[in-house]
Amino acid sequence: MSSVIREIWLLGRNRAALAALVLLAVFAAAGVAIGLANVARDQAMIERMLAGQPAEEQAVASFVKDAGYGAYYGFQPVWDPPSDLAFAALGNRDIAPAILRVRSLSLEAQLYENESANPELSLAGRFDLVFITIYIAPLVLIALLHDLWSGEREAGRLFMLSALPRARRRLWSVRIAVRIAGVLAALLIPFAVGAVLAGTALPRALAFGGLIMLACLFWSVVILLVARRGASSVVNAATLASIWFALTLVVPAAANLVINAAVPVPDGAALARENREFVHGAWDRPREQTMDAFLALYPQHAAGSALPPTFHYKWYFAFQHLGDVHVAKQSQAYRDGIAGRAAYARAAGWVLPPAGIAQAMTALAGTDVTAQLAFQQRIRAYHTRLREYYYDYLFSERPFDVQILADVPRFDPADGSGTGAD
Amino acid sequence: MNRSLIIAAAELRLMLRSRLALVGVVTLLLLSAIAAVTSAVQMTEAARARAQAQTETDAQFEAQPDRHPHRMVHYGTYALRPVGPLAAFDPGVDSFTGTVVFLEGHRQNSATFGAARESSDLLRFGQLTPAFVLQTLAPLLLIFLGFATVARERERGSLRALAAHGASAGSIVGGKALALGLVALLALTPALVALGWAALRQPHEAAVALVIALAYAGYLAAWVLGIVALSAIARTSQGALIALIAAWALIVVLVPRAAAGWAGVADPLPSRVDTELAIAADLRRIGDSHNPNDPHFAAFKANLLKQYGVTRTEDLPFNYRGRLAQEGERITSQLFKDYAARADAIRARQSGWLAWAGVLSPALSVRNASMVGAATDLTTHTAFMNAAEAYRFDLVQRLNGLQATAVSGADDNARSKDPLADRRTRISADFWKTMPRFDFAAPSASARMAAMLPSLALLALWIVLALGGLALAARRMGRLGA
Repeated sequence: MSSVIREIWLLGRNRAALAALVLLAVFAAAGVAIGLANVARDQAMIERMLAGQPAEEQAVASFVKDAGYGAYYGFQPVWDPPSDLAFAALGNRDIAPAILRVRSLSLEAQLYENESANPELSLAGRFDLVFITIYIAPLVLIALLHDLWSGEREAGRLFMLSALPRARRRLWSVRIAVRIAGVLAALLIPFAVGAVLAGTALPRALAFGGLIMLACLFWSVVILLVARRGASSVVNAATLASIWFALTLVVPAAANLVINAAVPVPDGAALARENREFVHGAWDRPREQTMDAFLALYPQHAAGSALPPTFHYKWYFAFQHLGDVHVAKQSQAYRDGIAGRAAYARAAGWVLPPAGIAQAMTALAGTDVTAQLAFQQRIRAYHTRLREYYYDYLFSERPFDVQILADVPRFDPADGSGTGAD
Repeated sequence: MNRSLIIAAAELRLMLRSRLALVGVVTLLLLSAIAAVTSAVQMTEAARARAQAQTETDAQFEAQPDRHPHRMVHYGTYALRPVGPLAAFDPGVDSFTGTVVFLEGHRQNSATFGAARESSDLLRFGQLTPAFVLQTLAPLLLIFLGFATVARERERGSLRALAAHGASAGSIVGGKALALGLVALLALTPALVALGWAALRQPHEAAVALVIALAYAGYLAAWVLGIVALSAIARTSQGALIALIAAWALIVVLVPRAAAGWAGVADPLPSRVDTELAIAADLRRIGDSHNPNDPHFAAFKANLLKQYGVTRTEDLPFNYRGRLAQEGERITSQLFKDYAARADAIRARQSGWLAWAGVLSPALSVRNASMVGAATDLTTHTAFMNAAEAYRFDLVQRLNGLQATAVSGADDNARSKDPLADRRTRISADFWKTMPRFDFAAPSASARMAAMLPSLALLALWIVLALGGLALAARRMGRLGA
C-alpha cells in the first residue's frame, strides 16, 4: 500500500504529468458537457416538433374535405431520439438528420432531406468522449509512460531501482498502475457524471466504460512494449508519437479512401431524378396502366379501384407509391453501398484497434452508420403504415370524416429498434 | 548570415544521414502525392458527374410534354452545386453540404446527397487531401525533424563549442530555422505542384492559388520558427519533443474540434422542421391561399377586381388562378428568404467563432484561408443555396405567369370536372424551352482573396509571435553563453 501512496505522491510532484492529467480531465469533462448539450438540443428539437404538430393538424383539418387531400397535406413527424449513450458518442448525428416530417407521397423524394447544420462545424469532427478517448488520452499515456525505464536510466537510477527487492511488483507495476489509473480516472469520472445525468442504463454505461478501459489498455501495452526496448526517452517518445499518428490519423484516412474507392455507392441524385421522372410521367400515362400496376401490389383494393373521369386521389397516391417501387432496386443498391462501406470499415477496425474501439462506442450508442440506416428503415416501415391507412379510406369510398386525420397511425421511435433493420 | 548558412548546411547534412528523417520526409511526400492525385481524380469525377447531371436535368425539363404550367411547378428541377475551382486541392465542406437541391413550387428543400453521409464512419477526421496533409501532417513531420536541432547541441555540449568558434546565438537559431525551412519547402512541393497544375488549367485562378500557397508557406514558417524556438528554450530534447507534440495536438487536433463543438452549442441553429413549422404558422397568420375567407387573399382579389373595373374574377383579362398562385408563391418565398437569412446569419456567426479561434490555432486560420480561396467554404455554399432559391422563385413565377396568361381561366376552373377542359389547360411544351437555365459561379477570385485577409492576418500574427519567440530564445541562449 505504501508503494501506491509513494507513486501517487511522486506523480503529484511531477508538474508536467499532473498538468497532462488535469488537462485530460478538463477535456473529457468539456467533451461530456458538449455531448450532453448536443443531446439536450436534439431532444428539445424533437419536443418542439411534436409540440407543433397539433396546430399543424388542426390547420389541415380546417380546410380539408376528403381523405386524399388530408393525406396530401398531412405531414407526420418521425424522429430518432438520442440514446442514453449518445452524449458520449455523438457519431453521425450531426450529418444524418434526427428528425423528419413525411407524408403519403413518394418517400424517396422525402427521405434524403438534410438537417440545416453548419458544414464548417462538421468538418473538424465531433468533440465528444470518443474523440478524447481515441485521440487525446493516448497522447497523455505516452507522455506519462514512454520514459518509464529510459527516464530512470538517463537519470542514472535504473540499476539501483531494479536491484531493489521485488522491484517488478513493488515499483514498476505500481508505477504503471498508478499512471494508467490516473488517465482512467480523468476519463471515467466525467463519463460517470455524464451517464448519471443522461440516465444511462447501468449495463450500457459499464460496457462503454469497458471500451474506454480497453482503449487505454491497448495503448498502455503498445507504449510499454516500446518503452521496454531500451531506447532513449526521446526515441521512445518519437516512436510512440509516430505510431499514434499512423494508427489514428493516417491509416484510417487512407483506409477511408480505399474503402470509398472499392465500394461504389450509386449516384443518389440520379436515383432522385429517376423517381421524379416516373412520378410526374404518370400524369401523361394512361391511368389504367397506373392502376393495374398498383393493384398488382394491392389486390385487396381492386373492388374500389374504379376511377371517375376526372382527378381522383386514388390514382394520385397509386403513382406516388409506384414511383418508390420504380426505384426500389436503385434505392436498395444505394443503401447496400453505404452499408457495405460500413462493413469494410468495421473490418478495418480489427486491424486498427483505435478505430475499432471508436466504432464499437458509436455502435453501442446507436449513432453509427448502421443506426442511421436503421432509422431510415423505420421511416420506411412507418411510411407504409401511413400510406396503407389512407389507401383503406380512398379505395373504400367511405364518407370523409375529420376524425380520419386525427386517427392516422403515429410513428413510434421504439418500433423495430434493436432488430437493426437490414 | 554566412555562419547561419554553414550551420544550416551542417544541419541538413545531419538530417540526410538520419534514417528516421529520410523515412519521414519520403513518407510525407508519398502521402502528399497520393492525396493530390486521388483528390484530383475524385473532384474531377465529381465535377464531371455534377455538370452532366445538370445538363441532363435541364434537358429533361425542356423535354417535358404539353402540360398545365402548375404541373411543371411541381415537376420542378434540380440545381447541382458545381465543384469549386480549386476543390481538388481543398474540398473543404464539399462532402458535408450536400450537392443537389430539388427546386419546386411552395417548398424550399435542403441540399441532399453529401459524400459524408455516404461514407463509412471510420474515424471522421479528415479526408486525405493535399490541404489535410499540409494542415495536419506536415507540422508533425517538422516537429520530428526539428525538436532536437538546438536541444541536441546543448545536451551534447556542442553549443558551447559553436559559441567558442564565434557563432552568435542568432546565427545558430537562424541557421537551424533555415535548414528546417528548406525541409518545409520540400514538404510543400507536391501540394504546390497540385495548386500550380490547377492554376495552369484555370489561369484566372492563378492569383488566388498563389495566395493559398503563400498562406500554407506562412503556416509552415510559423511552425518552423516555433519549433526551433522551443528547441532552443527547452532544457532537454525530450522536453522539447513532448511540449511540441502537446502544442501540435492542441493546435491541430483539439482546438478546431472544441471550437466547433462549442460554437454549435453556444449559438444553436433552429432545425429544418423548426423553420418549416414557423413558416407554416406565419403563413396562417399572413395569408392562407387555401382559405377562401382569408383576409389577405380576399383583399388581394378585391384590389385586382377594382384595378380592372370588373366584379368577377372570370371577367379579368387573365387567368386569376395564375395570379393567385404568383401571390401565394411571393408570400411563401419571402418567408423562405427571411428564415434562410436568419439561419445564414447564425451559421456565419458560428463560423465567425471558428475564425476567431484562429487566435488559438493557426491551423484553423490556414484551413479557413484555404477553403475560402478554393471556394469550398460555407460562404460559397450559402451563396449557392441562395442562388438556387432565387432561381427557384424566378422559375416558379414564370410558370405561374404562364398559367395566368396562356391558360384560360374558364378551362382552369373547370379542369377538375371536365376532362376536355383539362386537355385544353395543357400548354405547348415549347414554353418549357424558354425558361432560363440554372447557373452558379463561385465568388470571383478577387472577392475570395479579400475574404481570405482576416485569416491571413491571423497567420501573420502567428509568424510574428514565432519570430518573437525565436528572438527571445536566441537572446536567452546568448545571455546564458549557450
